Amino acid sequence: MRGRTRKAEESEVDLTPMLDIVFILLIFFIVTATFIKENAIDLTPPPPAPPDQPVNPVPTILIRITEDSMVRVDGRLSDIGSVRAAIERRIAEDPESAVLVQAHPLARNSLVIMIVDQARSAGVEGVGFTVDATE
Amino acid sequence: MARKIRARQAEEQALDLTPMLDVTFILLIFFIVTAQFIKLPGVDINRVEAENDAGVAPLGIILAIDENSHVYIDRERIDINEVEFTIRELRESNPRGEIVLQVDNNSEAGVLDQVMQAVVGADPEAQVNVSTELD
Repeated sequence: MRGRTRKAEESEVDLTPMLDIVFILLIFFIVTATFIKENAIDLTPPPPAPPDQPVNPVPTILIRITEDSMVRVDGRLSDIGSVRAAIERRIAEDPESAVLVQAHPLARNSLVIMIVDQARSAGVEGVGFTVDATE
Repeated sequence: MARKIRARQAEEQALDLTPMLDVTFILLIFFIVTAQFIKLPGVDINRVEAENDAGVAPLGIILAIDENSHVYIDRERIDINEVEFTIRELRESNPRGEIVLQVDNNSEAGVLDQVMQAVVGADPEAQVNVSTELD
């Protein structure tokens, strides 16, 4: 009777240490699991047009940002707050218009991103960003 | 008779841990598989508040352009000419994650343009996301 119970006890493996290790691993991976998200605006440049297709030029609203952070919408000096209104006015005239943001290489990026954001808010699909190569 | 009852009680007291172990293992495997170790640039960035932003996940490669227009990846300053190569290298171990640029408000547009060209050069399919302020 006694011998049998001892045998039964010995044949049962003690799982507690393994369970401890598994729990430690589990907690490590839960803690390091990064479900972080980043809020971001899409600034992907539009893909280049295929060369074999005839290019029908889309009317473009040119927004220039100068070195001293002045904004010109189609040559007219504008304020950052009124860029959206200016774009909307142009869109009302020609709904197909695209927006090209042309910034001086030394212009501040906050302006670039804000103008792209405002152009999107005005309902423009194609918003491009280039750097002014003339200067 | 009394001995039999005692034996039954001992059996009931030994809790069966197997189902818990199963669940724990499944959780462990889930967290191991979903674990992604993101390399953060490790510089402080002042972001723009934008309306047309969205949460971007899963994150893959995060680049930063700080206020002095220096480019950082994985806590290291990267020369502007090596950005494309570095992205290519990182893309091999993380082919699916989104590419996010953390662009400081005061950085130069010229550097942003160069970095964007490097991203598109390294991965033409990639979407270029520019990090904005959390709402």
